[in-house]
Amino acid sequence: MTIQREQLEADVLIVGAGPAGLACALYLARLIKQHNQTGGKPVLSAENIYVLEKGREVGAHQLSGAVMDPRGLAELIPDFEKSAPPGTLDTPVTDDAAYFFTERRAWKFPITPPPLRNHGNYVVSLNKLVKWLGGLVEQEGINLFTQFAGAQLIYEGEGIAGVITEDKGLDKDGKAKDNFTPGYELRAKVTVLAEGPRGSLTKDLVSRRKLDNLNPQVYGMGIKELWEVPAGRIDPGFTAHTLGWPLDTSMYGGGWVYGLRENRVSLGMVVSLEYHNSLFDPHEAFQKYKTHPFVKQILEGGKLVRYGAKTVPYGGWYSMPRTYVDGGLIIGDSASFLNSQRLKGIHMAIKSGMLAAETIFEALCSGDVSAKALSAFPKKVEASWIKKELWEVRNFHQGYAHGLYAGLFHTALQFVSGGRGLIDPMRTKPGYEAYQRIDGRAAPERFKGDGTLTFDRLTDVYHSGTRHEEDQPCHLVVADTSICADRCVREYGNPCQYFCPAAVYEMVKEKGELRLKINASNCVHCKTCDIADPYQIINWVPPEGGGGPNYEGM
Amino acid sequence: MNILLITEQREGKWNKTSFETLAAAQQLAAEQKGGLRAVVIGKGVLALAEELAASKIDEVLLVEHELLEKYTPDGFSLALKQVIEQVKPDLVLLPHTYQVRDYAPKLAASLGKGMVADCIGYKTEGGKLLFVRQMFQGKTAADVSLQGAAPWFVSFQAGAFRADLVAKGSARAPVKPVTVELKPEQIRTKPLELFREAKQAVDLTQAPIIVAIGRGIKASENIPMAEKLAKLLGGEIAASRPICDEGWLPMERQIGSSGQTVAPKLYLALGISGAIQHVVGMKGSRTIVAINKDQNAPIFEVADFGIVADIFEIIPALTEELEKAK
Repeated sequence: MTIQREQLEADVLIVGAGPAGLACALYLARLIKQHNQTGGKPVLSAENIYVLEKGREVGAHQLSGAVMDPRGLAELIPDFEKSAPPGTLDTPVTDDAAYFFTERRAWKFPITPPPLRNHGNYVVSLNKLVKWLGGLVEQEGINLFTQFAGAQLIYEGEGIAGVITEDKGLDKDGKAKDNFTPGYELRAKVTVLAEGPRGSLTKDLVSRRKLDNLNPQVYGMGIKELWEVPAGRIDPGFTAHTLGWPLDTSMYGGGWVYGLRENRVSLGMVVSLEYHNSLFDPHEAFQKYKTHPFVKQILEGGKLVRYGAKTVPYGGWYSMPRTYVDGGLIIGDSASFLNSQRLKGIHMAIKSGMLAAETIFEALCSGDVSAKALSAFPKKVEASWIKKELWEVRNFHQGYAHGLYAGLFHTALQFVSGGRGLIDPMRTKPGYEAYQRIDGRAAPERFKGDGTLTFDRLTDVYHSGTRHEEDQPCHLVVADTSICADRCVREYGNPCQYFCPAAVYEMVKEKGELRLKINASNCVHCKTCDIADPYQIINWVPPEGGGGPNYEGM
Repeated sequence: MNILLITEQREGKWNKTSFETLAAAQQLAAEQKGGLRAVVIGKGVLALAEELAASKIDEVLLVEHELLEKYTPDGFSLALKQVIEQVKPDLVLLPHTYQVRDYAPKLAASLGKGMVADCIGYKTEGGKLLFVRQMFQGKTAADVSLQGAAPWFVSFQAGAFRADLVAKGSARAPVKPVTVELKPEQIRTKPLELFREAKQAVDLTQAPIIVAIGRGIKASENIPMAEKLAKLLGGEIAASRPICDEGWLPMERQIGSSGQTVAPKLYLALGISGAIQHVVGMKGSRTIVAINKDQNAPIFEVADFGIVADIFEIIPALTEELEKAK
C-alpha cells in the first residue's frame, strides 16, 4: 500500500520542543518581527515556523537535574528573573559542596572544585522552564504541534527537505486501525533537529551523511527521583555533588542531591555508558545510593513524587557532528552542546538555538538555505562563548576512560593548560565497545527495593507517568532478536535487561527457549538501549505521538 | 455556482448527516446564488425523495436501479458519475460518512477530479470560496481553495452543520427520476448480509467476581484452567499487562493503569506479583485473595487473604471443590 500523505510547507521546521528548539523558534520569531517592522524584504512570518513535539504536552519529556547556568536564558529573555512564572526557577543556588562517598561515609572536599561551584546559578525544573518557553513561542504565532514526532527525514540531494511525522492508528502488526491517520509530509526550507540526546533523526542523518567528528558521541545516563521530605532536611538552594560509592573507581559518574523549595529534593545519579561490567545495573546503583547515610537522612520519612531517566551527551567539542547540511541544522544536545565537566547543557542548548535562529534568519532573507549558507552556524558558535567553554574541557571526559584516578590526574593537567592536557585531541571509542565478556559469570539477582526508600524498576516507572497506546507497532526495533538468545546471552549476559531504567527489556524462558520480550509501553524515551546495546541492533524510533513519560515538575 | 448534494440512506432509512450537509448546501446555494439539487440513490427510495422535496431545494433527483439496492462502491460511483455528467454541477457536496469515504474518492477520480474531504466549514475570502479542514488532530486548520475546472467534490464532517437549520421550501420541489445504466458485470463486489461486529461486551467494571491471572500462569495453554475456575465462580477472567501484551487474552481484559480499573466483590489474583501498575486498577476491590509462590510479592500487601503456594496446585483443588459443591 502506498500511503498518500498530506503535505504542508513551512519556512522552518524544528523537531523537538526542548530548550534548544524553543529558543530557536522564539528568537527567530523576534528577528522576523523586527525585520518586518523595519520594512525588510522579503516579508517573513512567524506562522511559517513549525515546531514538532512528541510529548503529550510541551515539557512532558524534559528531564534534567537541573542546576542551570542562566547565561543562555538571560540572553534570550533578559528579564527572565522577573518574567518567569513563579516556581519556574525553583531557587537560586545558595550553597554547594562536593563529597567523596565510601559505603558508610561522606568525605567533603575541602574546597568545592571550580566546575561544581554553582553560585549565581539556579536550581530549576526543566519541565516548568520549557513549558513557559512553549507558551512564549505560541504567543508569537508559531505553530507548535504536540503529540507529533518526526518519524523520517525527507532526504533531498546532499541535504534534507523536511520530515514525515509518525503514522497514527497502526496496530501491533502495523495494520491500519479505524483511527489510522498517515503521517504528514512537512517540507521546510530549513529543518532544525533539536531532538535532545541521541535523536532518532539526527542519528540517521549523521550516519547517512557521515557527519561524525573526530570522536563518536559518548553518553551518560541520568536517573532522577523527585522527593517530598519532612521540613528542615535540606536547605532550598543547597547543591551537593558526590563521587565514589556505589560506583567503583573504574567507572565515571556521580550523584547529586539538590534542595528545592517546599521541602522537595531532586536527586539522581549519572553514569557514563562506557562501563566494563555488562551486568551492571544503573537503576540498582542509584537505589543503593539512596541508602547511603548522607542521602538517607535527607529522604527518610519522605515520599517519592516522580521518577525519570534520560541520557546526556558527554562527548563535548570533539564529538560534535557537522551541524549543517543543505536545508538542515542540528542544535542542542543532539549536536553535543553540553559541558560534561560542569554537567550543564541548558545554557548552551538555548544559545545554540539562538545562533541557529540568526543563521536561519539570514538564510531566509537571502533565499539561500544551502549548506554553504548554513555553515554560518558553526562559525557563529566558534565566535561565541560556547566555543570558549567547550574548548577548555575538550579532553575532559576522554580523560576518564581509564577510571577515576587517571581522570582526576588528566583533569588537573588540562586545568592548568587551558584544556590541552597530555594528549590533544584525546580520542574516544563508542561506549558499548567497553563491555567485557561475562565469561560465565552468573546473572545478578534483581533488586527489589524496600518499597519506601528504595524501589524496584516497575514502581519507579509508574512514577514516571509513562503511558503509550498499547496496540501499536513496537517502537524499539531490534534488527535480529536471534542474537539475543544465541550470542548475547553467552557473551554479555543480555545487558539490555540491566541498563534499561524502565524495565522494557526482559529475557523470558518459554518451553526451554530463551526469547527477548520488549515491554515497549514502559519506555521513558531515554535512548539508553539505542546507545548501550553491544551489537547496536536496537533502533529507537518514536512511538505514536503523545506516548512517553510525563515529567511534570521534573 | 450549481450545487449537487448526494444524500445517504440505507435500507430506506436516512443517514442523518445527509441533512447536516443539506443545511450547508442551502447556505452555500443562497450565498453563491446558485441552484441546489439533491440526489437520493438506491432502490425503492421514492418516499425518501418525497420527504426531501419538502426542503428548500430546486429539484430532487431520484436515482433508482436494481443494482443499487445494496451499496457497492462500483455501483454507486458508476451511477453517480452518470448523474454528474447529466446534471453538470459545479460543486458536489457529500456527508463525510464511512460509505462516502469508501466511494467518493473513486467517483471523483473517475472524473479526473480531486476531493476536499472531511471539512468542518467553509468561508469566503475576497470572493474566493475556501473550505476548512482540520489538520494535526484538530490543532490547526487548513483553508483549501478549489482549483481546476468544476465539478469539485467536498465532504463535510458529521456535526459540522446543524440539521435543524434545514430550511423548508415554500413549495414542494419536483422529484425527477434519473436513468442510469448499470450492468451486473460492472459490479465487482457482492455485498453479503449486513452485520454489526459482535462486541464481546465484557464490562469488567460490572463483574462481581474477577479471576485475574499474571505471569505466574506461564503459558497460554494454562489459561483455560483459570477460565474454568472463573466460570465456576460466576466471574470474569482478567489479567495483568504481560498476559494481554502476549496476546493470550484480549486487551479489554487488562486490569491496571493502562487497562481497566475495577472494584469487584471478589478479586482472585493468580500468579500476579502486584506491580503498582496493576494494583492501581484493582485495589478498590472489596475482597482480594492472592495466590503467589513468592511470599515477598507486593500483591500480598493489598490482599485480604494470601496463599503462598503454586497456583498449579491451588487452581485444580479449588476447581474440584467448586465442582463438588455444584
